[in-house]
Amino acid sequence: MQRFKWLVPTLYIIFLMLPIYWLLNMSFKTTNEILGTFSLWPREFTLENYRTIFTDSTWYNGYFNSITYVVLNTVISVTVALPAAYAFSRYRFLGDKHLFFWLLTNRMAPPAVFALPFFQLYSAVGLFDTPLAVALAHALFNIPLAVWILEGFMSGIPRELDDTAYVDGYSFPRFFFKIFIPTIASGIGVTAFFTFMFSWVELLLAKTLTSVAAKPIAATMTKTASTSGYELGLLAAAGVLTIIPGAIVIYFVRNYIAKGFAMGRV
Amino acid sequence: MAHITLQDLKHSYNERPEDDDDWALKHLSFECEDGGAYALLGPSGCGKTTLLNIISGLLIPTEGRVLFDGKDVTGLMPDQRNIAQVFQFPVVYDTMSVYDNLAFPLRNRGLAGEAVDQRVRQIAAMIDLTDTLHQRAAGLSADGKQKISLGRGLVRADVNVIMFDEPLTVIDPHLKWQLRSKLKELHQQVGTTMIYVTHDQTEALTFADKVVVMYDGAVVQIGTPVELFEKPQHTFVGHFIGSPGMNILSCELDNGKPVLAGEVISANPIKQTPPTGTNLEIGIRPEFIHFAKSGLAVKIVRTSDAGHFSIVETLHKDQSIKLLVPEGAEIPTENAFIEFDKAHTQIYADSQIIT
Repeated sequence: MQRFKWLVPTLYIIFLMLPIYWLLNMSFKTTNEILGTFSLWPREFTLENYRTIFTDSTWYNGYFNSITYVVLNTVISVTVALPAAYAFSRYRFLGDKHLFFWLLTNRMAPPAVFALPFFQLYSAVGLFDTPLAVALAHALFNIPLAVWILEGFMSGIPRELDDTAYVDGYSFPRFFFKIFIPTIASGIGVTAFFTFMFSWVELLLAKTLTSVAAKPIAATMTKTASTSGYELGLLAAAGVLTIIPGAIVIYFVRNYIAKGFAMGRV
Repeated sequence: MAHITLQDLKHSYNERPEDDDDWALKHLSFECEDGGAYALLGPSGCGKTTLLNIISGLLIPTEGRVLFDGKDVTGLMPDQRNIAQVFQFPVVYDTMSVYDNLAFPLRNRGLAGEAVDQRVRQIAAMIDLTDTLHQRAAGLSADGKQKISLGRGLVRADVNVIMFDEPLTVIDPHLKWQLRSKLKELHQQVGTTMIYVTHDQTEALTFADKVVVMYDGAVVQIGTPVELFEKPQHTFVGHFIGSPGMNILSCELDNGKPVLAGEVISANPIKQTPPTGTNLEIGIRPEFIHFAKSGLAVKIVRTSDAGHFSIVETLHKDQSIKLLVPEGAEIPTENAFIEFDKAHTQIYADSQIIT
């Protein structure tokens, strides 16, 4: 038995990596090779797909738009959720527990439910087809989640920390920014990660609320299949590039996420 | 350093307190003299921490005033009161080093450079933190962190009052002694007013010049350790302080003399005859009872050895009486009689002393 200990993890990793490898593999092939032959590695190695993405503005603008609204959304969500979570963790007020629970109601319905109202509303106020529109729409789902995660981290910090800082001569704003926020930095990291992820992978709202100027990369990817025949190599390259931002973000918060899971809030 | 006056304090955590149980503090007034070492002693939930937080300004009392040196500070925020407070559980600023933690209160008051460094090193030496000064505070053990909390409380020399809220709960027993005597020593050196909250009578009695005993949101007695021991003003004090606590025996009065199950007991004279119907009790500490040739006839129930003395539990009629017998003294087995030390026999009416 001892000799085959490596077997299960190896198989697991192979299954895990196979789709990613295949995507990578495809991204270096020409569309003809993808459609014509079955090859485990590119026969005619080409970087043409990547070159297209980095030079064609409809492609790289997609990334640019996506990253803009995702970052905007993360910043809005965390900024709004921080004071809210502080209030829920430190103060008792009428109906606080109910409010805290019902914050999650927006997450009880699929985003599609809100697509039409958002579309109508944003068209009316002139926000349609802007990164801010998507960021705000995603904030509807992300702020409650962010409040929940942050509240968990904040409640893990004893109240006495607040009290000690006041006694030691800090006012509330100084305490909040200079001591409290650095203390829950890992919680903020985890929260930012989850809001980032939701916004980065969400397609329906992002697609509905944009047309040309703020079109996200995921929307671009769904359309290319039908314009000039099949461009599978190009799509694969776009897919590879879409994985990268998520991978970078998850790398930075990998240690904190375990902590977040341990608190049962994530 | 300041003289602290608490005037008619009342506090409730309910917004609209209705009955008596809604009050965490029920009418409380007392004064702490400048430079005194005070201990607030009482069981958990009696309002000690509430009182402490009112003095430090973390809570605003529902009614009443707090005065520092005659100046009303009831409405001031904690950072304006110039105080230090150490909490029960370690509170450290995780993101700073031990050194910065200790320097934090000093820097917030505008001190800098050499003055900070000197004071921090002095305090660190006192609480054995010199070796870890430049480590990150987050990596220390619980008692290491609590030492930082203590150090941060002590680091400023110019505070009005330093308050300790059961600061040694998480500290190892052998270190407790050491830190307590260090605190005492520091108090004698700098003479800052100190208030020490605890539910441990040994801590209170060894640390403080004056002990404030609290029970159910009210102060039942303020006194020196000796006063608390010899003349408890309330049966709760008698019971709570001392090990074992005071014997509280229900009795009746006959011509101003207490009668315990038919036998007249000689006790301190009564100052004022209580109205009929009050619940009367005799209070006598086990230390002040001894075996005698005649007196109260008792049955011995149990003897337990406690080092230099034995605790003997006896039964007179149906009331249990404990007494302390020095090591080596003879304990009768049959026909035992006990005698109360008259000067230390007190009488209580509805739990309040009347002798």
